[in-house]
Amino acid sequence: MSGALPTLAEAPTEASLRRKRLRISVPLTLGIIITVFFLVCAIVPGWIAPYDPLSFDYSNLQVGPSWIHLLGTDNFGRDELSRIIWAAQVDIQIALFCTIPPLIVGTIIGSLVGYYGGIADMIFGRVVDLVVTFPFMVLVIAIVAVLGPGLVNVYIAVSAVGWVFYARLVRSEIMVLRQADFAAAGRVMGYSDLRIIFRHLLPNALIAVVVYWMTDMALDILLGSSLGYLGLGAQPPTAEWGVLVSDGKNFMDTSWWMSVFPGIAIVLCGTGLSLLGDGVADLLAVKR
Amino acid sequence: MTTPLLSIRGLRTTLATERGQVTVVDGVDLDVQPGEILGLVGESGSGKSMTLRSILRLIRAPGRVSGQVLWRGRDLVPLREAEMRAIRGREIGMIFQEPMTALNPVLSVGAQILENLVAHTDLGRSARQARAVELLDLVGISAPAQRVNDYPHQFSGGMRQRAMIAIALASNPTLLLADEPTTALDVTIQDQILKLLMHLRATLKMAVILVTHDLGVVAQSCDRVAVLYAGRVAEYGAVGPVFAAPHHAYTLGLLRSVPDARHARQPLRPIGGAPPAPDTVGERCAFMPRCAYATAACATARPPLVSLSDGRLSACVHWDQLEANEWAAV
Amino acid sequence: MLARLPGRLLQMIPTFVLIGIVVFVLIRLLPGDPAAALLGIHATPEALARINAQLGFNRPVWVQFLLFVGRLLHGDLGISVSERIPVTEVIARRLPVTLILVVMAAIFALILALPLAFVAALHQNRLTDVALRGIFQVGLSTPIFYIGLLMLGFLGARLHWFPVGGIGNGVVSGFYHLFLPALTLGIGLSAILMRSLRSTVIGVLRAEYVEFARAKGIAPWRVLTGHVLRNSLITTLTLFGLNVGTLLGNTVIVENVFAVPGIGGLLVEAIFGRDYPVVQGVTLVLAVMVSLVFLLTDIAESWLDPRLNG
Repeated sequence: MSGALPTLAEAPTEASLRRKRLRISVPLTLGIIITVFFLVCAIVPGWIAPYDPLSFDYSNLQVGPSWIHLLGTDNFGRDELSRIIWAAQVDIQIALFCTIPPLIVGTIIGSLVGYYGGIADMIFGRVVDLVVTFPFMVLVIAIVAVLGPGLVNVYIAVSAVGWVFYARLVRSEIMVLRQADFAAAGRVMGYSDLRIIFRHLLPNALIAVVVYWMTDMALDILLGSSLGYLGLGAQPPTAEWGVLVSDGKNFMDTSWWMSVFPGIAIVLCGTGLSLLGDGVADLLAVKR
Repeated sequence: MTTPLLSIRGLRTTLATERGQVTVVDGVDLDVQPGEILGLVGESGSGKSMTLRSILRLIRAPGRVSGQVLWRGRDLVPLREAEMRAIRGREIGMIFQEPMTALNPVLSVGAQILENLVAHTDLGRSARQARAVELLDLVGISAPAQRVNDYPHQFSGGMRQRAMIAIALASNPTLLLADEPTTALDVTIQDQILKLLMHLRATLKMAVILVTHDLGVVAQSCDRVAVLYAGRVAEYGAVGPVFAAPHHAYTLGLLRSVPDARHARQPLRPIGGAPPAPDTVGERCAFMPRCAYATAACATARPPLVSLSDGRLSACVHWDQLEANEWAAV
Repeated sequence: MLARLPGRLLQMIPTFVLIGIVVFVLIRLLPGDPAAALLGIHATPEALARINAQLGFNRPVWVQFLLFVGRLLHGDLGISVSERIPVTEVIARRLPVTLILVVMAAIFALILALPLAFVAALHQNRLTDVALRGIFQVGLSTPIFYIGLLMLGFLGARLHWFPVGGIGNGVVSGFYHLFLPALTLGIGLSAILMRSLRSTVIGVLRAEYVEFARAKGIAPWRVLTGHVLRNSLITTLTLFGLNVGTLLGNTVIVENVFAVPGIGGLLVEAIFGRDYPVVQGVTLVLAVMVSLVFLLTDIAESWLDPRLNG
């Protein structure tokens, strides 16, 4: 009896182990806060933005940061902060539309190629070689160049290349999972291949996909704003962070705030998403 | 008795780990006489390797070494890093267990000898080159002039260990610290390396501290032996008498765990249980929980290392009540 | 190592074929008549007929591809629509600037990333390390055009320490003009390299051969340069090779920010000028550059790491 008590106290319970394992780190907390902040900006910009992002104010052209215009105004007197908040909508949209089609297509192709192998896998290997050889940005720029500037064409270009990375990831996960006992069990039960792949194997590969997805969103915000800056992405008057930076670039010596603040928004949003990705990866012990 | 070359008193080493400070060497006392081979035996975690590293202060900050390491009458523990470097490699050399990882894979064996010579000698370029070839010849590597430019991966396991010895001996140290130099090798190669060490000891008049967990190695090559347990010396003495009549229950247990000492060349499979971490011992004999001779007297204090006859030392309360070792005729 | 060079070059042929296919397909993505697209504003009926005959747009696709490859092998990338001279000439004129810029950027990246990775590794988990990792984490999320613009705006336009664009006249002026663009690219690349380099250096610092080197009593800086640096350099090269694609992609942007007249700037100009042969040519050249850098890093690795020579 007396011997049993300390054992009880010392033995870690299932719940305490789980709590220990799922300890939310400081970087992850930061990542969540930043990401949620930008999501809110994107969903209800009108609630947060102090001004109408499009209304010109010729009496307040290129006014520096003040209590009236926290981040200053641009060369048409538009409130910079409101422009940045509304632009979150476009950049979050870029993050989603550049990643979700490749995620879906890549996951399906990767699952099939990983499960069946054979000739499909060999062809896929060549495709991977190709995409790795080409500078991703150059390939995307080249495709946008041919299709013409604009956000929709950016989504098409990124998706046309980006699915390969998801497929490569899922393929390697599925190839390992294929060997597992539950896959064999499924085959013994007479389940169809597709049911085994998508009901039994894929759910186990999804954590890695989700972790990659978060990092990928951060990268695509950088890519999208870069294309916007070059004039190949979002087209004015659409407010997009890269476009805003570009709008201010000729006023760097007089109205630095026009370029500097939208840039900070990109950096913050990118950092938030990658902290989130890294934090979730650490939390779930996903190797990258 | 001559004055010892190296005299260690109360050596304590702590390492910083994620779980805080851990004591790995907990008051080791040792003497090494000029030209002798001292065997340092014990199970994994007994502090053998850490004792060697502590002598040269190869302990990374914030790990700490304290106590006394008298090298030719001079205490190494308080020396500044620069003074310590003049001892390392020059007066006290060291070789490691696994030459594959201890040799830098991207530098030729010759280059790894040369950097030792550059650090410790005034030899000119060509003299250093000649010395490197001479050293490889000394450790029994054939065609040394050609092999000096070879890289570690181009050598076989045994040759790599010979190359490592050549590197350690480059500046003629008077003491060689050998950390399990034969453990990673085949049995036949082990034998060659031990013979080489004994040969070098004789020709170079060099002392050796040989860390091993193989009692056969000790019987074959050592003059004296120190048995380590939980970061401390349990027993110390000349190999013959210690093996014939151990004065520590742990030594006796070790010797008995080897089926036949004459062909013993396998890791020790001692007494049930595992040695405790030095920090967890408390005020009792560290070996008590695993000891057949344990009595209440063992639980009163951690028994000190006491001097017995013939220069033997033991930290066993019941050293005079132990049975004789049944295969004493080694 | 040089003996294996021809073999390595042979191995690259499939890669070059793949690059050719992509560049070929790229132009086929153009909506409508490719000949009209290629000619742009100069499309007269006679010119269309000539181009169609010359490039074989009225033949089966595989024939077109073979013709395309055949012209490539002769160094024929077509005629620039806007400049009316061969694309190869346009590119050849602007390639050297880009090459110098990229080499300078690589050197800057190395100068930044390697020492800082060492500092971080040597202070593992202490304040310096955490701060450095934080800075580089943010750097990783900073788009390259923004880094460039900040440099240009503050060091160039505001403080007048550096010129605000172009490449100047003469060698010294040229390097001076390329300093900021190269630094921008270098910062971007070092942020990518830093993370892996730090863990590499930590691994090397823990390696037993470093312990053995210390046991030899050689000076700490010799241990660091002769062993830790030397061995970390191999991984640095591998990482550099893996990220050279990103570096070249960034070059396109940075050349735009700083108005550097290299092929990156050319690519964007060509896009807006609908000069498709030039877009095609620059894309091809950039992809070939990536494969050549792969090859070079491979060779350098086998030079630094004797184990790779069998």
